[in-house]
Amino acid sequence: MAPPWLDVLDETIGACVTHRRPDLEARLREKRAQQMDPKLRVLVIGETKQGKSQLVNALINAPVCAVGDDVTTTVPTFVQHSETPSAALVRNASSRSKIMNAPTERVAVPIEQVTKQVSTTHSGELVRAEIGIPRALLTSGLVLIDTPGVGDTRSAHTASTFATMMQADAVLMVSDATGELTATELALLKQIMSACPNVTVVVTKIDLVPHWRTVVERNRSHLARAGIPAKLLPVSATLRLRAAKTNDQVLNTESGFPELLACLQRDIVASADLLARRAVSVVASSAISQLVTPLREELTAHDSRQTEATISTLQEAQRRVDELRRRSARWQNVLNDEMADLISDVEYDLRDRTRKILREVDRTFDDADPAHGWEQFEQWLEDNLNEAATTNFAWLMERADWVAEKVAKNFPVYREDILPGSVLPEDLLDPVGKLEKPKIEPFTITQKLFTGLRGSYGGVLMFGLVTSLAGMPLINVVSLGAGALFGGKTIKDEADTRLKRRQAAAKAAAQKHVDDFFMKFSKDIRDAGRHIQRSLRNHFATLAEELQETLLESARSAKRAVQDDASQREQRQREARRELDKLVTLYKRVQALGGTAAMELSA
Amino acid sequence: MTLDHAVWSMLQEALAIYRDSPRASSWLRSHAERFTEPVRVAVAGVQGIGKSTAVNALIGDAFSPLPEFTWYRNGSTAAAQVVCGPRASEVPVTRRGSRVTVDIGQWDKIDRVVVDWPSRSLRDVVLIDTPASATPEQIFGDADAVLYLMRHLRDNDLQFLRSAHDHPIARVAAVNTVGVLARADEIGGGRIDALSSAKQISRRLRRDVQVQPLCQNVVQLAGLIAVAARTLREDEFVALRALASLGREELEDYLLSADRFVGPSFPVDLEASARQGLLDRFGLFGVRLCCALIRQGFDTTVKLTGQLVQRSGLGELRDSIAIHFVERREVLKARTALLGLDVVLRMEPRPAAFRLMADLERAVASAHDFRELRLVAALQGGRTKLPTELEAEAMRLIGAEGTTSLARLGFDYDAPADEQREVLLDALARWQGQASDPHLAHDHRRAAQIVVRSCEGMLTHLG
Ligand SMILES: Nc1nc2c(ncn2[C@@H]2O[C@H](COP(=O)(O)OP(=O)(O)OP(=O)(O)O)[C@@H](O)[C@H]2O)c(=O)[nH]1
Ligand SMILES: Nc1nc2c(ncn2[C@@H]2O[C@H](COP(=O)(O)OP(=O)(O)O)[C@@H](O)[C@H]2O)c(=O)[nH]1
Ligand SMILES: [Mg+2]
Ligand SMILES: [Mg+2]
Repeated sequence: MAPPWLDVLDETIGACVTHRRPDLEARLREKRAQQMDPKLRVLVIGETKQGKSQLVNALINAPVCAVGDDVTTTVPTFVQHSETPSAALVRNASSRSKIMNAPTERVAVPIEQVTKQVSTTHSGELVRAEIGIPRALLTSGLVLIDTPGVGDTRSAHTASTFATMMQADAVLMVSDATGELTATELALLKQIMSACPNVTVVVTKIDLVPHWRTVVERNRSHLARAGIPAKLLPVSATLRLRAAKTNDQVLNTESGFPELLACLQRDIVASADLLARRAVSVVASSAISQLVTPLREELTAHDSRQTEATISTLQEAQRRVDELRRRSARWQNVLNDEMADLISDVEYDLRDRTRKILREVDRTFDDADPAHGWEQFEQWLEDNLNEAATTNFAWLMERADWVAEKVAKNFPVYREDILPGSVLPEDLLDPVGKLEKPKIEPFTITQKLFTGLRGSYGGVLMFGLVTSLAGMPLINVVSLGAGALFGGKTIKDEADTRLKRRQAAAKAAAQKHVDDFFMKFSKDIRDAGRHIQRSLRNHFATLAEELQETLLESARSAKRAVQDDASQREQRQREARRELDKLVTLYKRVQALGGTAAMELSA
Repeated sequence: MTLDHAVWSMLQEALAIYRDSPRASSWLRSHAERFTEPVRVAVAGVQGIGKSTAVNALIGDAFSPLPEFTWYRNGSTAAAQVVCGPRASEVPVTRRGSRVTVDIGQWDKIDRVVVDWPSRSLRDVVLIDTPASATPEQIFGDADAVLYLMRHLRDNDLQFLRSAHDHPIARVAAVNTVGVLARADEIGGGRIDALSSAKQISRRLRRDVQVQPLCQNVVQLAGLIAVAARTLREDEFVALRALASLGREELEDYLLSADRFVGPSFPVDLEASARQGLLDRFGLFGVRLCCALIRQGFDTTVKLTGQLVQRSGLGELRDSIAIHFVERREVLKARTALLGLDVVLRMEPRPAAFRLMADLERAVASAHDFRELRLVAALQGGRTKLPTELEAEAMRLIGAEGTTSLARLGFDYDAPADEQREVLLDALARWQGQASDPHLAHDHRRAAQIVVRSCEGMLTHLG
């Protein structure tokens, strides 16, 4: 059965056809296609070896994610529906270019071999694995995403987990029953909650642990004490997989999976329908209002029965079209100026941050001996650069949102959808992967900001950042040894000069590292800025075209009113009134979809 | 002068210099005392990882865990005391079956509980069980060496291990930690080959570039099974044998999950409470393993215990303690004492102690034992590189596999002194050649010099 929002959307599309508005029609069709193929990202995360991959396998009863005793998962695996089983690896096209938006390539592999291929491909090259498999659970658009363990010492893994996290519609946090939730796990949960409130804690391996009920109880109180309103479900993947093999219903129930599946259906798939309805409601309302405007003007024109008044309406419409053209130059200027400012400010900010870090480095190595604690220093430097980049990027996003609002203010009319859903263009994240398509148009301002941020952290920030930094390790001034570092004439040197030279070398190494970082990351940031600017321009240009079309239509109908003779006039008037009534009814249904109190659309 | 003589006389000298400072002299006295005691080995790790269980496995008795620092040391009779500042009060120790309880009663604040216990395992070490609240400073302050329990290697494990090296002297002599991959029976989700899988993981961790400079070794341990094995009761053995009398397939469905194992329907005449008891003591994996072993013919208590102890990893853990801690007692004690001395010299600097300060620095920089250990770490961490076969020999000669001359020379039997000397002279000549070959890289030659020095040390011993 088609969901109710689909009927309403199709009727609205029909109305656009009737009223000869191909522009609106195209927009609604695009939305329709998006909504017909929704992606609900369910992210499976947790510390290493909690049974995340096995959980995904057990959910769909197929061994598509690699499971192992030692650290196994190094890149995310996306599992979604397809009519025939398929698998692909997405890799960096060239291992050299590690900048954001580096081209990736998608290589199909036989599904039976995907786990093996994932573990044998050099992890630096692999971006993710994609699995397509026919499963009822996935037909609603559910995408299960298996991720590398958080807190694993190879930090790039962790970062990519967070990257994916920020784009999730729901999160399954996996923690096995052999221990209670730890402070780190609780902290992670809190962090996730702030980005994606739909979180379920899955306690795995209950087959193995005699006192798993106590663990579950204690976990509940840990959650309560930490103020984390997450659901909690105990399961055993081992029992579930065995039940599937032996077709044992009782064992399947014991595995706890029926409840987990029900929870996925109820909380995730169902809530997705709500999101879809709201999104459709917003675009359809906007389209209908635009259809109504010319009709209304035509009716007023007829009502007045005054040719003069009608002529003035016609002039008015003409005037507004001109005004729109003039203003359109204005908003484009605003956009260009603001974005130019923004990019230079953000770059300045980044430079300032890196300078502060370097100053701190210099101060440190005025006294400290790099021979001691170089590792800690490297860690410190990496952390600080990461933090600088994160803050800098968050600021870019914030400013971009602000620019969007400022441009909107310079727009001749206000519409509900005047602000773009996200200032981040869709193709920023990944030019190839179709999984990266943003899903649902947001419906409130806060939602908009939230999605914008999600996008930012998800895509560019983490991927861009991690890859900017990856592969450029600091040289170790200590392990270089005296010879290489001091041109071979070390041995006779005084201890003190040796220290001085070591310090100078450390400073130089850090300086070079930070410079490299600045070069790469500031390029990423500039690219991101340009992308944003382009996508904002497209967004507002489309809006402007639609507006212009609406105004022109008003002018045309006013013209018709002037030209028509009396009987024709009456006939048209009746038609217009009927059409208007139809649109008003449709509008009410559209509003009801979104669950918002119906806004009056004056006829 | 050997390292321990040097350190001992430095302690004595410091005691003389700081005679008039009550704080410093009581600190120094406690260090002098500690210098002659057995090595203190603390068991550390996050809450619930199995520290108390590991301590029990090593001692061979099942002590009820206490939420305090608990020291177990060898004693002729069982006794326990609660220590709080300068005060120590006797508390009762009671034994019921294999369970031992120390009733510490109610206290506002406890520094530690000290248990004297007659056990062969405690002859050469004092074991310290640490509470969840213990800080790295407390742990590394009390102990000469540390067993660090972890599940897998996570960021916070590395953080803890690194905190041990925050002090410059500690860094120079980073010699006192063995990593333990704990709860080995849960690896692989309790699959029957869990323990061999755990062994492979610990082997990988041992070679991990991040772990090598921090841990002398990494071993696996299924503490729960080791304790159950060392305290196996007759009634438990009878119950396990009854289980094993059933075929593998017949039992399989009932061993699928812990819930099923204690469920109401069961094919063997065994009370649910008895089954629950087995589960508590052995874990589900342990029950599966015992059944498999009994079926394989390890069907007496002695045979079964032997297999369980060996497979649980307890054997390897003991070896590791022996090689890295007990045999290195002198170095570890010297290291602790030097750290203790350093504290005094920094906290209460005075002109009379300047020479001592220089001596301390020299001792740290030049002690051959530390040099050996540093070279072990450098070779393991790849900071110093030697050709593969030379590296293996160098590691052996500088004592990475044990510090007795037999271990260093690679004998796996008790070779007579003549035979040893012959092998030694051969090695010495080879390494002297390496040490003086001008074509070799500088750090290669330096490594060779240290090996030569180790060989010369052995030569004096063999006479
Ligand atoms: N007994 C039992 N074992 C399980 C269960 N789920 C997973 N395991 C085992 O736990 C181990 C780890 O499982 P994985 O799925 O690889 O864990 P992961 O969290 O994906 O691990 P990484 O990706 O390496 O972080 C494997 O040996 C699994 O067989 C379960 O429900 N019961
Ligand atoms: N399965 C399994 N359980 C263990 C093991 N070691 C300890 N445990 C259990 O883990 C829990 C905590 O152990 P304990 O030794 O008190 O941990 P501590 O807090 O680190 O001292 C207890 O229920 C033990 O029975 C082990 O090797 N395997
Ligand atoms: Mg995995
Ligand atoms: Mg304990």
